[in-house]
Amino acid sequence: METTMKCVRCLEGTVTVVAHAPDGSGAWEIYRCERCNYAWRSTEPPNITDPALRDPFFQLSGRDLDELSSPLPLP
Amino acid sequence: MFTDLRSFLEKLEQEGQLVHYRDEVLPEPDIRAILRAAADLGPTGPAVMFHDILGYGDRRLVGNVHGSWANHALMLGMVKTATLREQFQELDRRWDSYPGELRWVDQAPCHEVVLQEGFNLLELLPLFRVNPNDGGFYLSKASVVSKDPDEPASVDTENVGVYRVQVLDAETLAMQGLPFHDIAVHVRKAEARNEPLPVAICLGVAPMLSFVASTPLEYAQSEYKYCAALEGAPMQLTKTTDGYLDVPATAEYVLEGELQPRVRVTEGPFGEFPGSYSGARKQVLIKVKRVTHRRDPIFENLYLGRPWTEIDTLMALNTSIPLYKQISATMPEVKAVNAIYQHGLTVIIATDSRLGGYAKSVAFRAFSTPHGISYVKNVIVVDGDVDPFDLNQVMWAMSTRIRGTQDVIVIPSTPGMPLDPGSDPPGMSCKVILDCTTPVPPEPPMRDVAMVEHVPEAGAYAGILLELQKAQGR
Repeated sequence: METTMKCVRCLEGTVTVVAHAPDGSGAWEIYRCERCNYAWRSTEPPNITDPALRDPFFQLSGRDLDELSSPLPLP
Repeated sequence: MFTDLRSFLEKLEQEGQLVHYRDEVLPEPDIRAILRAAADLGPTGPAVMFHDILGYGDRRLVGNVHGSWANHALMLGMVKTATLREQFQELDRRWDSYPGELRWVDQAPCHEVVLQEGFNLLELLPLFRVNPNDGGFYLSKASVVSKDPDEPASVDTENVGVYRVQVLDAETLAMQGLPFHDIAVHVRKAEARNEPLPVAICLGVAPMLSFVASTPLEYAQSEYKYCAALEGAPMQLTKTTDGYLDVPATAEYVLEGELQPRVRVTEGPFGEFPGSYSGARKQVLIKVKRVTHRRDPIFENLYLGRPWTEIDTLMALNTSIPLYKQISATMPEVKAVNAIYQHGLTVIIATDSRLGGYAKSVAFRAFSTPHGISYVKNVIVVDGDVDPFDLNQVMWAMSTRIRGTQDVIVIPSTPGMPLDPGSDPPGMSCKVILDCTTPVPPEPPMRDVAMVEHVPEAGAYAGILLELQKAQGR
């Protein structure tokens, strides 16, 4: 299921809802960015879920993800 | 002794080392905060079972299972007050029983429930964000099983290792394997053939298996046979539902899947064992095809943060013993090895000196063990009559024996542990030797100073004083 949200970390990827509270309470949802794989829960604090309040050190906006290092390089 | 997680949890409860948290908690930040608090209770901190996690219904989570020396001692079947030195000696004794016996069982508890499709790992497992800036939700205490594609019949090269696993969505995982991990050999061979690598991710296993799976064993040493040897009882295994991999029969959950060849996906960051985040990386991808679990399963996960936390206790003596065995095999003067600090980034070795300069030779040996090449960065060598697990004694040795001009050695440009913030670029580091031993010939002696004698008579009085203290406290 797509949402209209953009990723809170890379600010580019499309976000999908990947989980709902399994007890049926609707207590939370989990979102995942299809581009950078960041995932977060709707009940997490704003310093996790709000791009403006997130620690810039951990943001991936403007980063070419293909340039990330790979501990196990492709053969 | 403990054939599964449940029997160990029962023992912990009897000993006052497991507490039940029954109030409702938020997955974030409550679980992290409570497990941090359990770790901060130190050598007697309890395991914590969570019974009411918002949104997860009756799913149970347990953490800090290996989180204190008391719990560690109970895992070994010792009294919970056993000292670190005593636990080291007990493990040293049992280590030589390798290989232990393996037994395959039918109708394994881990197969009580089989989910072929329609499962969602993010809903099935009561996950929580371990550290605030992790890239997602992690399995931080998963025993990952894989086989050498060239030797599918071999149990010895079948690997069980604890690697960090990020749950990406309902059935997809990203996993970190590092080049010096055994699983890297399996991945490399499978990818050379462009074939998927079958993996089984086992959660909530017997405590000794978590201990052995995070031990730096040699490539062809079987984790299962070590587990049996250390337990003194056969290890009970069963086959995955496709009959290919061997998994612990009593695991709470087994995620059966395939590592996709030549695929890398963005994973991380993750707060790692040095107490710092490792950055986002391109890591291998696993598709989970099937989940099996016990009835009413218990999900076990691990909080790791700034040391000291559960991972520090889990990866402590299981790092010390292999190093001790490997070094003492050719250097019998070595009495004990304390490698409990960050998986052996710093190691304290107690040794007698065969000849002048011998402490440096012992340090070189530590640096050149399979684990030591990348991990062991700082080696502190103390005399054989200093207990390397007693930091008061170690600091005394350092304070009074080091002569800065000749006993502090730095070897630049050596392999390093990529997750160590001091490794720059990641994977490169230096080796440091602090020789805190007393010189022996032909090295000239330290200036003429006589050591104060040990007091062997004191041991008998310790018990008497404790009794007197107890009586007075009434």
